[in-house]
Amino acid sequence: MTNHWVDLKNADVILVMGSNPAENHPISMKWIMKAREKGAKLVVVDPRFTRTAARADLYAPLRSGTDIAFLGGMIKYILDNNLYFKEYVVNYTNATYLVNPDFKGPAELNGLFSGYDETTRKYDKKTWSFQMDEKGLPKKDMTMKDPNCVFQIMKKHYSRYTPDKVSSITGTPKEKLLEVYKAYGSTGKPNRVGTELYAMGWTQHTVGTQNIRTMAIIQLLLGNIGMAGGGMNALRGESNVQGSTDFGLLFHILPGYIPVPSATLVDLKTYIDKLTPKTKDPRSVNWWGNRGKYITSYLKSIYGSNATKENGFAYDYLPKLDEGMNASWLNLFDQMYKGKFDGFFAWGQNPACSGANAGKVRTALTKLKWMVNVNLFDNETASFWKGPGLNPKDIQTEVFMLPCASSVEKEGSITNSGRLAQWRYKAIEPIGQSKPDSDIVNELFLRVKKMYQKQGGAFPDPILKLTWNYGAKAVNTHLIAKEVNGYYIEELVDKKANKVVGKKGDLCTNFVTLQLDGTTSCGNWIYSGSYTMKDDKQVNMMARRKKDDPTGLGLFSDWAWCWPVNRRIIYNRASVNMEGKPWDPKRAVIKWNPNKLDPKTKKTGPGWEGDVPDGPAPPMADEKAGKYPFIMRADGMGALFGPGLADGPFPEHYEALECPLQANLLSKQRVNPAIKMFFDKKGGLKEDQFLSCDMRFPYVATTYRVSEHWQTGVLTRHLPWQAELQPQQFVELSEELAKEKNIKSGDKVTVKSARGEVWAIAMVTNRFKPFKVANSTVHQVGLPWHFGWQFPEDGSGGDSSNLLTPTVGDANTMIPETKAFMVNVEKA
Amino acid sequence: MARKALLISPELCIGCRGCQTACKGWNQLPAEKTKNTGSFENPADLTPIVFNKIRYVEVPSEKDPVRWLFVSQRCMHCDDAGCMKICPAPGALYKTKEGAVAFNKEKCIGCKLCVAGCPFNVPRYDAKDKISKCNLCEDRIAAGLEPACSKTCPTGAIKYGERDSLIGGSKKAGFAKVYGDTDLGGLGSIYAFKDSPKLYGMEENPQIPESIVFWHKVLKPLAYWGVGGAVAASLLHYVVIGPHKDDEEVKKDG
Amino acid sequence: MDKMIRKAGVFEIFNHWVLAISCFILALTGYAFLFHLEQMTGIFGSFAQMKVIHNYAGIVFTGSLVISIFFYLPESLHMTGDDLKWLSMLGGYLSKHPHVPPMGKLNTGQKLAYLGLVVSGIAIAVSGFVIWLMPGVKKYILLSHLAHNIAFDYIVFAVAAHIYLATLANPGTLRIMLSGTVPLEWARKKSPKWVKEMGY
Ligand code: SF4
Ligand code: SF4
Ligand code: SF4
Ligand code: SF4
Repeated sequence: MTNHWVDLKNADVILVMGSNPAENHPISMKWIMKAREKGAKLVVVDPRFTRTAARADLYAPLRSGTDIAFLGGMIKYILDNNLYFKEYVVNYTNATYLVNPDFKGPAELNGLFSGYDETTRKYDKKTWSFQMDEKGLPKKDMTMKDPNCVFQIMKKHYSRYTPDKVSSITGTPKEKLLEVYKAYGSTGKPNRVGTELYAMGWTQHTVGTQNIRTMAIIQLLLGNIGMAGGGMNALRGESNVQGSTDFGLLFHILPGYIPVPSATLVDLKTYIDKLTPKTKDPRSVNWWGNRGKYITSYLKSIYGSNATKENGFAYDYLPKLDEGMNASWLNLFDQMYKGKFDGFFAWGQNPACSGANAGKVRTALTKLKWMVNVNLFDNETASFWKGPGLNPKDIQTEVFMLPCASSVEKEGSITNSGRLAQWRYKAIEPIGQSKPDSDIVNELFLRVKKMYQKQGGAFPDPILKLTWNYGAKAVNTHLIAKEVNGYYIEELVDKKANKVVGKKGDLCTNFVTLQLDGTTSCGNWIYSGSYTMKDDKQVNMMARRKKDDPTGLGLFSDWAWCWPVNRRIIYNRASVNMEGKPWDPKRAVIKWNPNKLDPKTKKTGPGWEGDVPDGPAPPMADEKAGKYPFIMRADGMGALFGPGLADGPFPEHYEALECPLQANLLSKQRVNPAIKMFFDKKGGLKEDQFLSCDMRFPYVATTYRVSEHWQTGVLTRHLPWQAELQPQQFVELSEELAKEKNIKSGDKVTVKSARGEVWAIAMVTNRFKPFKVANSTVHQVGLPWHFGWQFPEDGSGGDSSNLLTPTVGDANTMIPETKAFMVNVEKA
Repeated sequence: MARKALLISPELCIGCRGCQTACKGWNQLPAEKTKNTGSFENPADLTPIVFNKIRYVEVPSEKDPVRWLFVSQRCMHCDDAGCMKICPAPGALYKTKEGAVAFNKEKCIGCKLCVAGCPFNVPRYDAKDKISKCNLCEDRIAAGLEPACSKTCPTGAIKYGERDSLIGGSKKAGFAKVYGDTDLGGLGSIYAFKDSPKLYGMEENPQIPESIVFWHKVLKPLAYWGVGGAVAASLLHYVVIGPHKDDEEVKKDG
Repeated sequence: MDKMIRKAGVFEIFNHWVLAISCFILALTGYAFLFHLEQMTGIFGSFAQMKVIHNYAGIVFTGSLVISIFFYLPESLHMTGDDLKWLSMLGGYLSKHPHVPPMGKLNTGQKLAYLGLVVSGIAIAVSGFVIWLMPGVKKYILLSHLAHNIAFDYIVFAVAAHIYLATLANPGTLRIMLSGTVPLEWARKKSPKWVKEMGY
């Protein structure tokens, strides 16, 4: 989230699209209802009339996988009706930048952007660039009239997204489309703010990243980024998934979103040179320009005194990816399926149910020599060898089960979607033989280390030289939290002010003080400041529990701690005008006060008030010292034109890998041209096959979660109270489809895709309605993915709907496309 | 003590059923073994181990595919409680100072009459035939806490508080009539409905069954006064007229 | 010594008292339920206990009532002109010097009282069993509850009257339900027709 949960109450329009907060983030509805009480409009766009839709002021249906068409139409509507926030767009975004004249878009190239190579399925992004002046700064046209400026190119790009066209793609009735456009478009005024809540409903598509980009463009056009009650808000699906992502959960990032080095970046200097964004514009903060400090401090934190200037701070010890290597989920399991792995730690996960195309995942597990399952309960992954269709005799995989403690049986921080890191305490001792995950890792590491010590090995140093002092058995999580925050290894002196910033051995104040020369350590720069010094004592900022709210906006700045530097709303410098005055004084996140009183020195001087601002620099109107608001971007501007992504600088509508249409109604490119194909004309595994626009699988399907269960249900299926509420796999389908198929509510039906099948109880409902798409009727159905064969033991729950989903991922992130695929439904 | 109540606002309810699990958690109620019957609603009805539940009501809508209402249901904690009226065992059902209609299984004799007296079909009976229903978390409210269900409710669809101020508040929020404001002497579970109660699956004017009112007003006093009257009449007869004498005896005496 | 004549058999007497005692227990517990008479727990233990006793006394009462039918129903249904006359003068109970028509084994009042008892007894028994054994069907429970209470009101009233009439109001009557025999002369006065039938 750019903003945070409580902030939802400040919105005027809340667009819920790609998420279902009432069911998956019920607590958020507390704040949404508060906003509604004050007159806010809740707008829900979803293929299905959800429990969130039930409370909405406006609901519009759309066919799964057509969000970009829907939102592209909104961009057109906003531009056509001059609803955008001009001052914001001109000054805070790259709308004014002039684009390379050789750049061409889908309108000209029939669905493609310039630079596409069909054989590699990749773009050469040379033309996706700006025209530069002699100083190396982008050329601009502040009137935004130049046909080559971003604004005009964008306008041209989305001119194709007419309401009629969009309606025939999405299946949304035209009047509903316009109603949503009008409602959301109303937030382009300085005193109106709109927020967007999304989750897996947007990410899990072959165009997932671009779904979000489209909305980001809208939010920039309407001036909603940085505002209280605005922002782009990703609702994370697990209580601490934000935290785990911050700490390098994904294969390509180290803690703090620092890229994992690839083999071609031979040493730290090359790494820093190549990966540090640069700008020639003195007014751009370009915060990522500090990347070198963060990677160095990170290396110091993990290799301690073994990381020296001489050995490049032990950069060599870091594992490297081969150039271009992608080790994301689908690829990992593809490799496992092909027998490329000996062992696998299934840690706190249940891929046999959660993985897209779970049938392939289950087969892949049979190819392993060993597997370790770390979980609270036995599950479909741990017991895969006795799963449906498998004969235990044929399977050689040795499976170990390590029971781990639940969240109430251990102490530590968890970070919620609003980037708020809250410290939690242990309520009870772990039961039975279970242990906190950290203790398991600790013991595992110490044993591995011992083996390396004894037996040597090809490259023992990365293991042997690692700093690892968390206790002999039980881990003291405070030690980890402090290591994450970082220490001053040497005394740090501010030479200009001739002042000691930090004493040797003290915890770092925050990441601003991190150094490139190896005199600071920091396990995760964005968390620097979470455990720090106050009056010479160490203070756990995440354990703070003060409920003061001086702005009334619900920032609660003294409650726990949020990254970065306890900034509750990021990009908040965009919430004020060039003079530093809030666009909307009624919800001032920050404001510039020329006579701010410093409570410590009792002196007055210019400064920011309110939330922690995005940097202390004065407002942009200050020609010299003023800075651009989007400090994480090299050029300091919000990116309407976004050349960073793999599949185009502007989002373009493509159909899902499996869709009910023969062709994309907008261009000749049916699917995203930049996705990796696991199966195509050239071949591929039978397991990965897909069948689009095929008579045998005529209905669009999507998967989702319900409030009563969590993820694959390993935790909740075992909870009798939850199982009581939702005992069985079900499929929701419309009355119309049910009639066609002679299915009644409560009937057992079979849902089949090109890859697998599951049984489900039919839930015949008006909450699904057939779509009118390209003048024909398209039915959609939906299933939750909470169930699995292993529990309840009598099999009464059903099995995972991921047995149906395809092996294909987003062009940028490789997140699987589980939200739009094709199935058939038959009475069982 | 001012009477307390639960104010239920289906317009705020998101059907998350945190209230259902919270109730089970606090009251340590085991789970029902259920099946999916083609609806989100589960269990289908209140049971001795299901004190509250959300009813998922689908009604036609002009603007949307359907209008989906979530109505939280439990004991209404009636002021004039039919269950208490009919109950033959003293102390089995009683009112707490907050106005909750609570029960004492020790005192309950398992006659199962109370469900007949209840206009809302609330009481259920456990394996030992003892009454089992929502008691407004009697123990929590006595300790100054709010009930488990309202405590858990994320949106304020269930609010616990002083009855008068809850009613005042929802009237101010634009709900002209609060369901249960005056019914049965005033209910302890009151509802802020936007439309007619019927739509939400509630009866318009809930009433204690007439036969029970008749019994309470007529038959019960008659049993009291009737037998007293019979004894009195006998005595009177004995004194005024005396024992029955046969013709001959009369003659003899005469 | 007067010549005695047997008016009731041993079994008949036994059954009468079974009926009477069960009725008495039922009435007592019934009152406790109606008016929450906590004092009654001193006799019966607890209300739960009372419910058990009430239910089982109900079985006894019902059985006894059914048996009594063999003794009294045919006679009670047998009405003659004398019965009408008797009725028209209310059995002479409102006069100090009544001239009542000759009666059979049972007088008209007794016949009617018995018929009332059979009807209300059956009603109270059936409704009692419904409440006991068929809980859950609200309609039936409500109906039964009503019937049970109407019958109850009637029975307690009728029983009070019955006791008075059989003791104070008609001295000598109680003997029938103690020894079963009455003096022939007394019987001649009370039930002349029956005495004649018996061949005296
Ligand atoms: S079942 Fe228990 S609570 Fe209900 S009426 Fe009978 S004694 Fe009272
Ligand atoms: S709702 Fe029923 S059980 Fe609850 S107090 Fe009223 S009458 Fe009694
Ligand atoms: S008040 Fe307590 S007992 Fe009643 S429904 Fe709520 S949680 Fe359950
Ligand atoms: S907890 Fe509140 S919002 Fe959730 S279902 Fe219950 S009443 Fe509705």
